[in-house]
Amino acid sequence: MCLYDLKPGQQAYIHSVCGDAKLAKRLLALGCIEGTPVKVKMAAPFGDPIIINFRGFDLAIRKKDARNIYIKEA
Amino acid sequence: MEMITAALLGNPNVGKTTLFNYLTGSNQYVGNWAGVTVERKEGFIEDRIKIVDLPGIYAMDTYSNEEKVSKEFLEKGGVDVIVNIVDASSLSRNLYLTLQLKQFNKPIVLVLNMIDVAKTKGMKIDYQKLSKKLGVTVIPISASKGIGIEEVKKLLKSGNFFSLYNENDYQYVEDEKENYKYIEEVLAESMIYEGDKRATIGERIDSIVLNKFLAYPLFVFILYIIFKFTFSWVGQPLSDAMDSVIITKIVSLLDILLQNSSSWFRSLIIDGIVAGVGSVLVFLPIILTLFLGISFLEDSGYMARAAFIMDRIMRKMGLSGKAFIPLIIGFGCSVPGIMSARTLESDKDRKLTALLVPLMSCNARLPVYALFATVFFPGNETFITFSLYLLGIGMAFLIGILFKNTIFRKDEEPFIIELPEYKLPEFKSLIRSTWEKGKGFLKKAGTIIFAMSVIIWFLSNFNFSGMVDMGNSFLAYIGGAMAPIFKPLGFGTWQSSVALLTGLMAKEVVVSTMGVVYGVELQKILLQHFTSIAAYSYLVFILLYTPCISVVAVMRKEFGNRMMIFSVLYQLFLAWVVSFIVYNIGNLVFG
Repeated sequence: MCLYDLKPGQQAYIHSVCGDAKLAKRLLALGCIEGTPVKVKMAAPFGDPIIINFRGFDLAIRKKDARNIYIKEA
Repeated sequence: MEMITAALLGNPNVGKTTLFNYLTGSNQYVGNWAGVTVERKEGFIEDRIKIVDLPGIYAMDTYSNEEKVSKEFLEKGGVDVIVNIVDASSLSRNLYLTLQLKQFNKPIVLVLNMIDVAKTKGMKIDYQKLSKKLGVTVIPISASKGIGIEEVKKLLKSGNFFSLYNENDYQYVEDEKENYKYIEEVLAESMIYEGDKRATIGERIDSIVLNKFLAYPLFVFILYIIFKFTFSWVGQPLSDAMDSVIITKIVSLLDILLQNSSSWFRSLIIDGIVAGVGSVLVFLPIILTLFLGISFLEDSGYMARAAFIMDRIMRKMGLSGKAFIPLIIGFGCSVPGIMSARTLESDKDRKLTALLVPLMSCNARLPVYALFATVFFPGNETFITFSLYLLGIGMAFLIGILFKNTIFRKDEEPFIIELPEYKLPEFKSLIRSTWEKGKGFLKKAGTIIFAMSVIIWFLSNFNFSGMVDMGNSFLAYIGGAMAPIFKPLGFGTWQSSVALLTGLMAKEVVVSTMGVVYGVELQKILLQHFTSIAAYSYLVFILLYTPCISVVAVMRKEFGNRMMIFSVLYQLFLAWVVSFIVYNIGNLVFG
């Protein structure tokens, strides 16, 4: 499962990040690492991008990138 | 005593600029880091401590220009101490950068900002334990309330930070997971988290501001207010006041002062320098007020939300949502539009946006549309004007897609934006950042505009036999020589070419130049020189061709010579091609 599959309000734990190397590196540096609780907060009016929350801050990411963040269910 | 160099570092949105301003007061200098469009700020405490404000970054190794600049400075800038400001309410992420900073083997002063916010979020931090665990000096502050800043100053002045040299035993490894594990260990011992009890105010604001149905209307409304503020309530009236002061007071004063000097000198001063530099100076109030509004949006936290809701549309051009703001500002004036592109994350976004901004039809082009539309398309003025605005937007879209797939293909920046918490911007830092932008415009742009004004004045008043009227001047010759280039577009007269040349000063000058070369019966004479289709083609050219020298100067100031030349040439080329198509298709359909 990946973050893309979560609906607004749903929670899970990060499993791993893959895809674009630069983006993955940035997400990891922000603390988007295995075992971190993550929540999808809301989507933009047309459904993309989305706001996710982990380690106490909100981050906007595109849906296509959300596909590359794998999760474990809560 | 030797000067101590302190490097100020921290994540974006943690109050770094506020701290920097508090520490250095007005004793600061703004420039660019060599080779990149990353702002470089330096300030001093009592001429003894130099503080270099490095760009806001989350880490040292995720390949952005900001990070490269910071890394290089820490390695080669002769840094004596690192002042690392962190958001106390979001410590785990913030300390990641701290761990990386420890690699540089410099003493670190860890400034814990927003301790008040951390407290309301239910976090209790043991500063001493944190300091001991990390081997750094910890100072808790609240920059927005002015608490604790004196301590930071005192410590820097005392020089006592040298004793706490790299005392912790953690060995940094190239693995995010390990590092975060270590951070969590540190925090487990030095922080008690009682949990967030209530939904924050920010979440409630977001549920309105980012609401499915309200997000866009609200965004349009906010932009509308800023434009109103700039172009009808404050900026424009100030500009008009300045204009009348320059035109009437200074010119009439100079007229008296220069009564006895020769006529060419008087003309150089009044028609050349005062008219040229003055026409640019009157932009200043507009630029300042517009930037005040933009800085407000930026500091309040709304800008990141605007980027969030506009991302889907902007992505088609290869830009992120944030690039929408400079483009919108471009409708007012390209100069602040290009300048505001510096708030974008990546170098590529900044450059591509700056290249597209002049395609947004700015205010100065309106008088030209108005003149031609009333003469050639009576009754349809609004439609004609509107069609030109739309054409500009359409072109920006096409060119954006073209550039994205050609010259800017390589440097693709991933899109992630932190949505910072909302806060009420501080008046002082708003004024400061607004003034800094205005000052930069005045200083750098002023010089090139001065030179250009003199050159254009000379060309329009002289030929080899001395001073003449414009019809016989060098400019008229040049216009005549250029005219054949424009023949295929439907307007191959020297007069229209000359107007395009002087239009480089400011686009509205096209109208006044035509007034000079065609005389008082301008509207009647225009009908003899242009067909309706040629007139429209001319307007298309005015819309798209090389922007005025203020814009060219700003382009050079922000991005250097190569970008400036490229922007000038591509727009000339684009204008010619599109006008050619419009003229010929127009003739086929209506002719």
